[in-house]
Amino acid sequence: MLEQFYAGLAEIFEIDQSKINPNLSLEEIIWDSLAIVSTIALADECFEVILDGQSLSSCAKVNDIQILIEKAKES
Amino acid sequence: MSSKAKILDLAGYLPPNTLTNADLELIYPDWPAEKIYDKTGIKKRHIASQDQTSVDLAIEAAESLFRNGKVAKDSIDFLIFCTQTPDYILPTSACLIQERLHLSKNIGAFDINLGCSGFVYGLSVAKGLIDSGLAKCVLLITADTYSKYIHPMDKSVRTIFGDGSAATVIGITEIGKGKIGPFIFGTDGSGGKNLIIESGSNRSPIDLNSSIEYKDTSGNIRSKKNIFMDGPEIMRFSLEVVPKSIHALCIKAKINLNDLDFLILHQGSGFMLEALKRKLKLDGNKFPICIQDTGNTVSSTIPFVLLDLIKESKLKSGNKLALVGFGVGYSWAACMIEF
Repeated sequence: MLEQFYAGLAEIFEIDQSKINPNLSLEEIIWDSLAIVSTIALADECFEVILDGQSLSSCAKVNDIQILIEKAKES
Repeated sequence: MSSKAKILDLAGYLPPNTLTNADLELIYPDWPAEKIYDKTGIKKRHIASQDQTSVDLAIEAAESLFRNGKVAKDSIDFLIFCTQTPDYILPTSACLIQERLHLSKNIGAFDINLGCSGFVYGLSVAKGLIDSGLAKCVLLITADTYSKYIHPMDKSVRTIFGDGSAATVIGITEIGKGKIGPFIFGTDGSGGKNLIIESGSNRSPIDLNSSIEYKDTSGNIRSKKNIFMDGPEIMRFSLEVVPKSIHALCIKAKINLNDLDFLILHQGSGFMLEALKRKLKLDGNKFPICIQDTGNTVSSTIPFVLLDLIKESKLKSGNKLALVGFGVGYSWAACMIEF
């Protein structure tokens, strides 16, 4: 699932998958509402969790998104 | 009580002016035409002219339906007009449509202020009127001109919405086929702020501040007089509500999802529809996506899909369809129809 998620993020960020890692700063890509919409759909598809846009917009790096996913899985 | 209502005929109208992805690329240079299609599933939207209102679009769709010859104007005894962009705050736009279509004065007529869920709600009201004996032949028209409220530099909504109208006649089935129902309804007003035109009515009348333009974090420009849509929140709402509604509808209708011939969702955006198709794990042939040449025409998207299926001879008598409208409000509704 994580690999599928990273592959999806690579497509959303329009960068090579090898660059996707937890410490990747979202300032290095276009982290706009379109990217956030796509990430909501991706997280649902990979992990069956539905994230909210406001929390995602506050994320600074990929690991922050992963933390949101883990929290959503627990709730 | 056994249902008597069925859909007798449909017709649609799209204004001739179009806004293509090539047109949008000239306005938003960092969004090439291919990227717009990739992100939205839309190639062109039809846009009402400056002097063309939702009532004008409604008239065109209705006259087109009557030209089909299956339903006569004098058989209509009720008119429902679903729009969020009426000609006036008052009088009721349905009254104006009655006059312009030269329908009988002995009919009922009213407006419904609903967007993406409006067609399914309209069907429910038509069915209620017919099954209760209050009407025999209901003309349901959906029409919107969202384009008039969209800021030209707000690509978040300008790439999505198109103008259009659909006319549907619901009448009495004589041979026991073509049932409408059951229905599932849903409302969550906490989502109202996520798809809204803030200024222009009584909560926030037009004043000097209404026209102040601001740029959001994605570079879109709008004022409070323009449509604002929180795309991420709409996606979140859709992923949460739509599958649950379909599941609830199937239980109520005592049918398995996979036994449906078609599942027709409100055509909000191609990206959203693809995400829902994957989530529902439904055969693509049963999940029509018809947004490419119209964009999101609000309450008319579902009838436009039905028209597309009819045109391509994909609908057969006895087909079981689920229709799901969802969006602005938040408001949602789902129903079964037997074609």
